[in-house]
Amino acid sequence: MRPSPASTALMAMLTVFGGLTAATAARSQPDAAQWSPPKTPWGDPDLQGIYNYGTSTPLERPLALIDQPVLSAEEATALEQNLVETLNQDRRDGGAEADVARNYNELWTDASRTQLTADKRTSLIIDPPDGRLPPRVERPLTAAEEQARLEAELSLKRFTAGFHASYRDADVGNRCIIRRRNEGGGHPYLPALYNNMAQIFQSPGYVVIYAEMIHHARIIPVDGRAHLPDNVETWLGNPVGRWDGDTLVVETTNFLTADDIGRTGVVYGNADPKTFRIIERFTRTGPATLDYVVTLSDPNTWTRPFTIRVPWNQTDEQIYEYQCQELNYDLYFWLHGAREREQRGERFDPDADLDLR
Amino acid sequence: MATRLGAIKRRLVFQVASILIGTGLLAPQWLPAQTPPAAQNPIPGTFPAYEPARTAESRPDLNGIWQALTTANWDIEAHAAAPGPVAEVLGAWAAQPAGLSIVEGGAIPYQPWALARRQENFATRTSVSVPGDGVDPPLGDPELKCWMPGVPRSMYMPFPLQIVQTPDAILITHEFNGTARIVRMNWEEESPVDDTFFMGWSRGHWDADTLVIDVTGLNSRNWLDRAGNFYSASVHIVERLTLVSPYHLMYEATIEDPAVYTRPWKIRFPLYRRMEEHVQLMEFKCQPFVEELLYGQFTKADTD
Amino acid sequence: MKIAHSIVISVLSMGALAAPVEAHHAFAANFDAEKPVKFNAVVTKMEWINPHVWMHIDVRMPDGSVEQWMIEAGSPNMLFRQGLNKNSVVPGMEVIVDGYQARDGSRRANGRDVTLPDGRKLFLSGAGDGP
Repeated sequence: MRPSPASTALMAMLTVFGGLTAATAARSQPDAAQWSPPKTPWGDPDLQGIYNYGTSTPLERPLALIDQPVLSAEEATALEQNLVETLNQDRRDGGAEADVARNYNELWTDASRTQLTADKRTSLIIDPPDGRLPPRVERPLTAAEEQARLEAELSLKRFTAGFHASYRDADVGNRCIIRRRNEGGGHPYLPALYNNMAQIFQSPGYVVIYAEMIHHARIIPVDGRAHLPDNVETWLGNPVGRWDGDTLVVETTNFLTADDIGRTGVVYGNADPKTFRIIERFTRTGPATLDYVVTLSDPNTWTRPFTIRVPWNQTDEQIYEYQCQELNYDLYFWLHGAREREQRGERFDPDADLDLR
Repeated sequence: MATRLGAIKRRLVFQVASILIGTGLLAPQWLPAQTPPAAQNPIPGTFPAYEPARTAESRPDLNGIWQALTTANWDIEAHAAAPGPVAEVLGAWAAQPAGLSIVEGGAIPYQPWALARRQENFATRTSVSVPGDGVDPPLGDPELKCWMPGVPRSMYMPFPLQIVQTPDAILITHEFNGTARIVRMNWEEESPVDDTFFMGWSRGHWDADTLVIDVTGLNSRNWLDRAGNFYSASVHIVERLTLVSPYHLMYEATIEDPAVYTRPWKIRFPLYRRMEEHVQLMEFKCQPFVEELLYGQFTKADTD
Repeated sequence: MKIAHSIVISVLSMGALAAPVEAHHAFAANFDAEKPVKFNAVVTKMEWINPHVWMHIDVRMPDGSVEQWMIEAGSPNMLFRQGLNKNSVVPGMEVIVDGYQARDGSRRANGRDVTLPDGRKLFLSGAGDGP
């Protein structure tokens, strides 16, 4: 099928967003297995560059497509056209509540989200083969765990209703402690609505991945040193890397195990930081592409490990400083606002019907 | 007669031996209380000429973990020891040590209004305001609130920093709350905004074996230390980093801000290479440590 | 059996919209759908800051008085990458702001549309998956 006028229009729209043409061309790099990355002057595979890992390929394969791991070329093109339309939130077709809840127009969101992965997968999860997260482990909660669960639920309700009892009702991302997403650490690099940027630097003995949010330079030693002792616990973990051929393998440990981390936890899926494992593999597959594969597991949380693959594409764009707590006006507005509303006689209603997402 | 000849002989031998020792031809092991005239201890303030290790691009190799050892983070001008805040609880833990100035000439050349403002900063350094509450300029030492320390203060915080050097960009990352900045080499583009970036807009180039970093786009909320020294958003800083020994990276910065100072002025101090085996930047996320200080006042009282 | 293209598209686009956003910013909790606002205003200050851009405006009220409002927007880093900077929206610009007021009644709004003098629309609903 030859390119339709619609896909020409898509390319024109992408050009308006700027700077994507190089990445788009590079994404169609064939035969990645034949290509070998250059080496740094001291002999390590060179992964360096500025990358954007945004995409609209969903994490989990939709149930209706459970037997279709890959789209055809026509289906992928049609979907990308549809995404340009649906991701443009500059729409008025949902009423006031939808208006308030709607996200940015195309100016604010990452244009890479109008694209799927070059291999046209229907999920970022590649294992289990059905492209779905494995079931969570079900077990009866202890009385203390059930109490904690109820308190976390109440906290989320207060946050959603705008009646924060304290700063602890905001999540650790809103509190500017960790983004709780793709900073590197206990959360893999998964596409978000915006700021899907990472810059890789290398020097002898180190690979450093700098994530834009929240300005985190993740220093990964590749000199064979051990992890920190167990009692040194951290929000973002202690990464140690090693080379497996041209692949950088990173294992990250030493996550905070305290009880008062907040309802979203410190590692992906709010898993148990004591038994959670995250192993990431970075392989440069072409002059402008890098293959990111991450395996996550926790026998206390998921019935089996699972693996996610996200393509990273080099970009001409730059990373800018992401200040957070310094200018996080919202936290004051929420807290002060909640006290103001109470002064006016409004009260938090734990039984109100809230959209708790 | 024999004794006198023996004395003459002994004197002659001694004289010849002295000459030989002086010319280094005779090892003086048999002479007690003589040190070999070889290595001298380094003299503070001076460094012998040094040829640095180089990268593949023949640039001095600044890679490594570095840390300043001055007390400039308390006060970049000379200061005596003093009790810290909440001394009745924290005693010697939080007391200010004495230290010499890192400012060339000793004092910062403030305009009169700015000197008064510095005194106000000092007086309110532990009275914090909260982002969003409308207090402008914000109250309290930014460091106390776990804000990024800015430039140049991040270079002399009492925490290590790591330099990761590549030909196109140099990353400087700090243990203090993961503060980081990217120095773009030979970069023409200006900062997109003013008075926004705490760590500024850094552009670098090599001047022979000195890394020169031009910093603009800095945030007027930055302080230079806990004493309330400050600049405005129009400040322009030029940093110079030069390896002067395998273990010392000399840091100089010229600070120019016609809105605040009467002339440009300089700071200078060495950064020391951290040499513990397996030394690494540890995690120091201070935001959880300051939330009660900043936001505890808004916690709902349990009276409902 | 091959699934119809239309089903593929609708199913996948639903998945794509839902998947990457793990947590709500609860800005629906902070801005009131029942309090829409629409202003002719003049920009007094732009804060191109993270986590959220804030646009400060003077709003001319029908009775001739002027109120000062703040409009919340997204992370400026995406805008910088698209070439916007301090010269793109400047004090003195006349803008039309369409949005929803904060629940606590303060003079803040979740901007839905901001129309610049040249007709360009920056719409600034202050959502996000982060801070």
